[in-house]
This record gives sequence, C-alpha cells and structure tokens, in this order.
Amino acid sequence: MINITVARITIRGLFGRRRFLLLLPLPVLLIGLALLADGFGARPADWANPVLVGLGFGAVLPVIALIVGTGVLGSEIDDGTLVHVLAKPLPRRDIILTKLAVAVVVTAVTVGVPMFVAGLVAGSARLGAGLAAGCAVGAFAYSALFLALSLVTRRPVLVGLLYVLIWEGLLGNLLGGTRILAIQQYASAVAARVGDTDLLIGRVSVPVSVTMAVLFTVGGTLLAIDRLRSFTVAGETS
Amino acid sequence: MSEGARLSEGARLSEGVMSSGVIHDIGYQRYTGPRLGRGYVTRSLYLHGLRTVFGLGRSAKAKIFPWVAVGIVAVVATVLTAVRAQTGRPVLSYADFPGAVAVLTTLFCATAAPELVSRDLRGGVLPLYFSRPLRRADYPLAKLAALVSAVWLMLAGPLTLMFVGGAFSVHGPGAVRDEFLDLLPGLVQSVIYAAVYSSLALLVASFAGRRAVAAALVVAVFLVTTPIVGVIGVSGGQAAQQLAFLASPTTLVQGVGGWLFDVSGSDVGPYGPVYGLAVAGLVAACVLLLLVRYRRVAR
Repeated sequence: MINITVARITIRGLFGRRRFLLLLPLPVLLIGLALLADGFGARPADWANPVLVGLGFGAVLPVIALIVGTGVLGSEIDDGTLVHVLAKPLPRRDIILTKLAVAVVVTAVTVGVPMFVAGLVAGSARLGAGLAAGCAVGAFAYSALFLALSLVTRRPVLVGLLYVLIWEGLLGNLLGGTRILAIQQYASAVAARVGDTDLLIGRVSVPVSVTMAVLFTVGGTLLAIDRLRSFTVAGETS
Repeated sequence: MSEGARLSEGARLSEGVMSSGVIHDIGYQRYTGPRLGRGYVTRSLYLHGLRTVFGLGRSAKAKIFPWVAVGIVAVVATVLTAVRAQTGRPVLSYADFPGAVAVLTTLFCATAAPELVSRDLRGGVLPLYFSRPLRRADYPLAKLAALVSAVWLMLAGPLTLMFVGGAFSVHGPGAVRDEFLDLLPGLVQSVIYAAVYSSLALLVASFAGRRAVAAALVVAVFLVTTPIVGVIGVSGGQAAQQLAFLASPTTLVQGVGGWLFDVSGSDVGPYGPVYGLAVAGLVAACVLLLLVRYRRVAR
C-alpha cells in the first residue's frame, strides 16, 4: 500500500527546502505564547481559548496542513517531476496513499507536539493528549482535503486559503450552521472530549465530528485517487 | 618575426581577402528614435503591476481570485447600504468598513503580492529588468505602489458606493456635505490599511519564489500574530490591554483607527500617538527591508 521510495522522495522534497524552515516559527510561537501567558500569571481559563483554539486550531494547524498537504503533491506537479513517479509501474492509489500518509504524519507531528506542550503548560498531560488527538484528527481531514485540492485545481493553496479564511474563519463565526463542515471544529471537539476539560468548548458534537472527519478523509482520498488516475501533464500556464 | 610585424602581416592578409568581397547593405539601421528613460520604465512597471493585480490582460483564471475578493467587498457594501436605506441608520461608519472586511483585504494581498514579485523571482527575469535604465530601488517601489493603489481601490470603490447610497438617503445639501465629511475618514483609513497590508505582504512575498508558498506565508503573518493580542490582553493590566493591539498588523491598523477616527472595537486609551508611530515605523521598516532585499538579487 505504502511505497517506501515515494515516501522518502516526498519527505526529502518537504524538508530539503528552505521554505519548510519558514514554517518553524509557527509551532515555536505557539509554545512561546503559552509560556508567556503562564509566566504573566494569567489564568489558563483566560488564555487557553485565544492560544489553543484561536492560534492552534484556528491558524497553526490549517496553515501547516495547507503547506504540507499541497506541498507533497502540488510541488511535484509544478516542477513537472511528478511525471517520473507516474511513469513507474505503481498503482496510482499507492502514490496517493503514500503522499497522504507522509502529509498526515508530518502535520500531526509538527502541530501535535507543540500543542501537547502548550496543553501541559495550560493544565495537565491529559489536556495535552487531547490537543494532540485533536491535531491528529485535523491532520487527517485537512491533509486529505488539501491533497485532493492540489489535483482538482491549479491554485490549491489559494483555494485552501479561501476555505480556511472565509469558510472556517469568517462564516464559522457568523453562521453557526457552517461549523458542521469546518474541520477545525472537529479538531477542537475531539480535543475537548479526549482532554476532558472545560477550557475548550466543542461546538460540534463528538460523534458528528468523528464521522465528518472520516468522511472528509475518505472522500478527499478517493477524489485524489480518481483525479490522479486521469491526470494529464500540463505545461506552465497563466 | 616581431609581434608588430606578425600583426601587420595578418592585417595585410585579411585585407587581401576582403578586397575580393563585397559588403551588401541589407538595411541595418541605428535606432534614432527617442530613448525612454527611467521614469517611463517605472511608470510602465507600475501600470503593469496594477493590471496584474486585477488580472487584466491575463487569462480568466488569473481574474478569479482578485475579483472574488472585490466582489465580496462590494456585496458587503451593498448590503450595508441597503440595510441603511431600510432602517435609516448606518450599520457601520465609513471608517469602520475597512476593518470589517480586513479578512478579504488579507486574502487580496495574499494573492496579489506573490503575483507581483514571486513570478519574477521564479522566472529569474530580474536581470532583464535591471539591464534597463532602472535603478535597484525603482523595481520594488513601483511594485509596492501598484499594490497599495490596488488595495486602496478595492476598499475605496465600495466606500464610494456606500457614500452614493448614503447621499441619496439623506435630505438636503448640508446633510450630503456631512455625509461626505464622514466618508473622508473612511478613505484615509483605507490608505492606512493599504499601506500597512501591502508593504508587509510584498516584503513577505519577495522572500518566496513560489506563489503558493508566498500566499500562505502572507496569510500566516496576519493570522498567527492576532492571538498574541488576545494573550497580552488577558494577562496584563489596563495599559497592557491598550498597548496589546501593537502586536499584530491587523489590530495595529484598528488601533490607529481608534485613535484617529474613533473606530469601534479598539480602545487604545492615551496611547494613540504610539500607534501612529508604530504604523509609520512598520511601513518604513518594510520598505527599507524590501529595498535591502532587492539590492542584490538575481532570483
């Protein structure tokens, strides 16, 4: 199912470039802010929401998932090196599953670890574990979505930004009904349940969150596999 | 044989060869027309940048994102105007408007700034620009001017729409004049928004050659710094709360609006001038770094 060579090439493509280092400040900022707020002596009930939900689930998780999720396949499409992978006798399904696995692991680790640390600072290891679990759920759904996006459109990052900023950010706060389709809400709902805390408020029920996250993941993966099956190599346009 | 003798020998030889040949005049001519200088290049770059931002003269795909952003802002303005016409009271003052659509401004900058600078970096065409009578500073400044104008147009257009709607819903020339005096702070606030958002976005974008990465980085800068404000706000005293808006460009412009035009949602207390200085400093720093970035760059 998962091809080691493709995974290795993907990981090298992600970490071997300078741009991934540009993402490093985000997790550091997350931990730094948690420590700063704790050092000021503020109550976790006051700062947990802006830092853990506002910054963590609202900004760091989607942005990192976006860069990684579109980077695993999108950069190869842009460079034209995807042709070399496609020309190998590998099922397209394996390529997608491998890339998805790499994206999920990288996103979950880069966001989950700092969130766990922030959770430790805010309360307990239980809270940290909850946050990490929320990040893992979010990583699956976001990665599958953005991976599919990078095959559906030529500007996956911008479409992804539209989804994160307009749908989840703007409409998620104004129209409550759109939250049912917002991945960051699933992440915080799962984090609130697993972390067993009242610092986070799950606005979407946990069964719905898990179901929808699975739907997003499976749907995105199937769409990506289908799109890669009939993938045509296009030159640089617009 | 000495060096000079050998040379003259060669010259004589080639002369002998040449004398048997004919040079045909095939119509090569020197260029004698006017040579357009630095100002023309910079103006062209500015105009081209402005067209690029809105996707004019490009494929339909390049028009989608800028015009989606412009369209949503225009819809917001239309709805506000309609609600005002129905209820008789303005929902949002003109100066509040740029803050209300700040997310769209961010998105607009995130798509426009990489379009302006990242393509040239990735294509490696900067040496072609700088082989023209263009100084190092002209290129980034022309691009920045284009982005600032575009963002301002995106905000000022809907504001004008709101003003026209407002002017027709009040009675008497005096009321229209008052309405216009209300509009001016909105336009000035738009200038501040355009300057801060554009300079920051262009600076960030000029470090990434890939448009997609540049767009994500621009959004990250705006999105990630906002929660810092919340943290400082809840952890400090009143002074810290009033100074907290300095931590993020998004809230910084709101703070300036609160100082100058009494924009709602940002109580800056006595620290208004600090915010003014911070905005000026931020823009100056971004422009300076942008100039440094383009001092020596090939790609």
